[in-house]
Amino acid sequence: MRPHIIIRYIGLIFLFNSLFLFTSFLISFYNNDSGMFPLLYSTIIAFIFGIFPLIYVPAAKNITSKEGFLIVVLSWLLTCLLGVIPYVIWGGGFSFTNAWFESVSGFTTTGASILTNIEILPKGLLFWRSATHWIGGIGIIVFALVILPNIGHIRTVLVKNEFSPLAQHNFIQNTKQVFRVLIIVYLGLTLLETIALWIAGMGLFDAVCHSFATIATGGFSTKNLSIAHFNSPAIDIIIMFFMFLSGIHFGLLFYTVIGNRYNIFKSGVVKFYFFSIVAGILFVTLNLYLNNYYGFFKSLQYASFQIVTLATTTGFANADSSAWPSFSIMLLIFFTLQCACAGSTAGGIKIDRVLILLKAIKIQIKKFHHPNAVISLKIDNKTVNPEAVNNAILYIVLYIFIVFISALLLTAMGVDSLSAFSGSAATMGNVGPGFNMVYSLGNYNAIPDAGKWILSANMLLGRLEIYALLSLIMYHYRR
Amino acid sequence: MRLKYKIISGFVILAVMLIIAGIISIIELTRVGKSVQVLLDQNYKSINAANTMLEALEREDGGVLLLILGNKDEGRTTIHEADSIFLKGLHILQNNVTLPGEGDLVTGISYSYSEYKNTWINPVVGTELEGDLKWYYDNQHKSLLQVKQAVRNLMFLNQSAMYKTGTDLKQRSEKAIMPGIVAIVAGVIFSLIFSYFIHYYVIKPILRMMKSLNDYNNYNKPFMVEIETKDEIYDLAQAIKLIFIKKSTDSKL
Repeated sequence: MRPHIIIRYIGLIFLFNSLFLFTSFLISFYNNDSGMFPLLYSTIIAFIFGIFPLIYVPAAKNITSKEGFLIVVLSWLLTCLLGVIPYVIWGGGFSFTNAWFESVSGFTTTGASILTNIEILPKGLLFWRSATHWIGGIGIIVFALVILPNIGHIRTVLVKNEFSPLAQHNFIQNTKQVFRVLIIVYLGLTLLETIALWIAGMGLFDAVCHSFATIATGGFSTKNLSIAHFNSPAIDIIIMFFMFLSGIHFGLLFYTVIGNRYNIFKSGVVKFYFFSIVAGILFVTLNLYLNNYYGFFKSLQYASFQIVTLATTTGFANADSSAWPSFSIMLLIFFTLQCACAGSTAGGIKIDRVLILLKAIKIQIKKFHHPNAVISLKIDNKTVNPEAVNNAILYIVLYIFIVFISALLLTAMGVDSLSAFSGSAATMGNVGPGFNMVYSLGNYNAIPDAGKWILSANMLLGRLEIYALLSLIMYHYRR
Repeated sequence: MRLKYKIISGFVILAVMLIIAGIISIIELTRVGKSVQVLLDQNYKSINAANTMLEALEREDGGVLLLILGNKDEGRTTIHEADSIFLKGLHILQNNVTLPGEGDLVTGISYSYSEYKNTWINPVVGTELEGDLKWYYDNQHKSLLQVKQAVRNLMFLNQSAMYKTGTDLKQRSEKAIMPGIVAIVAGVIFSLIFSYFIHYYVIKPILRMMKSLNDYNNYNKPFMVEIETKDEIYDLAQAIKLIFIKKSTDSKL
C-alpha cells in the first residue's frame, strides 16, 4: 500500500472539484452575493490539496487493485467532506450535519435536501449544489482520469471499482473507450437539455442547474417547488425525456447514436425498463383519474413525471405525490426500489438485477416441474454466469435488509413509519424524495441529526453499490 | 521541482491558508462590529426615545387630570415639562429614521400628538370643562391612547429590527468562526501530509543513502539507491554513484 499514490489521485479529484468551485465563485462574484467568500475559500482549499501532492508525488506507472479501490472509496468520502466547506462557511441553516447531508446528497446524486427555503441561497451556492450532482453523476474519479493523460493500467483498476459489476458485464470495451463514451454522452446530454430548457422558457442559469441535476439523475432544483415552480408542460416533457435517457446504460446510448447493431432497441434490460415505466404511468394515471384527483390529462402529466423521476432516481417533483391514493404511493415506492439501468448514473437495485431475479424465479418454478432440467439464465440471448445471478439476488436481499434496518432506526428516533421507510429507500436508491415528512415538495430538515447521518450512510452505500463501502470497513477491521 | 521550492511551497501554502482564514474572519468581525453599531445607533436610540415619550405622555395625562381638578399652576407646569420631554424625543425620532416605514410612523406620532395637544392647550380651569370627567374619558383620554399606540408601533418596529440585527449578529459571529475552524482542520491535515511527503521523499532517501554508504564501508556492498524524484536528492545519489564508478575505474587502472 502506497499512501502517497492514493493522496496524489485524490488530489487530482480535488483539483477537478476546484474548477467547479471557482466557477461557482465567479457566479457569486458576478452577482455580488453572500456566497463569494465561502466559495473562494473552498476553491483555495480544494486547489491547495489538489496541487500539493502533484508537486511531490511523481506519476505512478501502475497501481494495485487495493490502491485503486481505496482511491475510489476515499475519493467519494473526501469529496463529500470538501463539499461541506462552502455550506458551513456560508452558514444559514447549515450545521455540520446538515451540510454533510446536503453534500453527500449532491455527490451521490440523491437530491434529498435539508433546505426549507432553497431560493434564499446565493446563486453561486445554488450552482455548486447542482455541480455536485454533475461531478458525482459520472463518478468524480472517472472525470479526473479522463482529463489526465498519464495513466495506462491505472484506469482499468479504477474503473473496475467505480462501475457496477453489471455495467461491466454488458459493456465490453477497453477502458479508454468507456471513458470517451461516458464523456461524450454525458456532455452531449447536458448540453442538449440545457438548450431545450432554455428554449422552453427557463432562464439560462436555471436551465444549466436543472440539466446538471437531470443528467446526473440527481434532483436538486433551484426552486422551492422543484419543477412544479415552472408550471410548464413543455419543461416537464423535456426533463422527463432526459431523465428517461439518463437512466439507460450510457454505452448503449452511444451505440444507438453511432448506429451500432447492439443498441437500446435490442436490449432486454432497456425494454423491461421502458415497459415497466409505461405500465407504472398507466396504473397511476388511472388511479388518480378514477379517484377524481385530477382530470385525465393532468393525471397523465403528474403520473408520468413522478413515475419517471422516481424510476430514474432523479427526484424532481411537479406535484405533491404524498396526497395521492395509497395504490399510487405503493407503486411509486416500488419504482423507488427498482430504479433504472446499470451503467447509467442512477442508483438503486437496478433493472438488471430485478430482471435477473424475475428470470431466476421463473427458472426455479420450471425446475419444480422438471427437477433434472438444466436451465441457464439468459439476458439478450447471453447466458448469465450463475455467480452473477447469486450476487444479484444477494445484493437485492442485502439492499432491502439495509433499507429495513435504517427505517427501523429512524422509527426509533420518532419518525413515522412511512417517512422512515420511504426516506430510507429513497436515500439508499439515491432517489431523493419519499413520502409524508420527506415528501416530493418537502425536505429532510425535520429528521433528527442522528437520522441524517444514517441516511447519509445509506446514500454512500447506495452509490458505492454496498460492497465497496463494506469492503473498506472490513479491510480496516482486518488490519 | 527543486527541493528548496518543494519545501517552501509547503510552508507558503500553510501561510496562505491561515492568511485567507484570517482575512475572512477579520471581514466578518468588522461586519459584526458594524452591526453592533447599527443596533446601538439606530434601533436602541429610537426605542429609548420612544420609552421616554411614553413616560412623558403619562406625566402629561397626570397634568391634565390636575387641571380638571382645578389645580391650574401645578397642572400647567407638569404638562409643559412633559411636553418638552416628548418633543425632545420626537425630535430624536425625526432625525433617526433608518427603517422602511419608520418615517410614516413618526409622522403619525407627530399628527396624533398635535390632536392630543389640542385637547389641553386651551384653558380648562375656570371653564365648563373643570371637573368634567366625561369630557376627559371621551376626548382627552382617547387621544392620549392614540398617541401612545402610535409610539408603541414605532417601538415595536425598532424592537423587531433589533431582534433581526441580533440574529444576524449571531450568524455573523458563527461565520467569522467557521473559516478559522476550517483553516485549523485543513492546516492540521495539510501538515500531516506535508510531514509524510518530507519523510518519504527527503528523509527516507537520505537514510537509505546513509545505510548504503555504511554498507559499502563495512561490507563493501555496492551503492544501490533508487530515487523516484528528480531533485537534489536524486542529483546527490547520482553524484555518489559517479564517485563510486570513478573510484572503481581508477582502481582497475
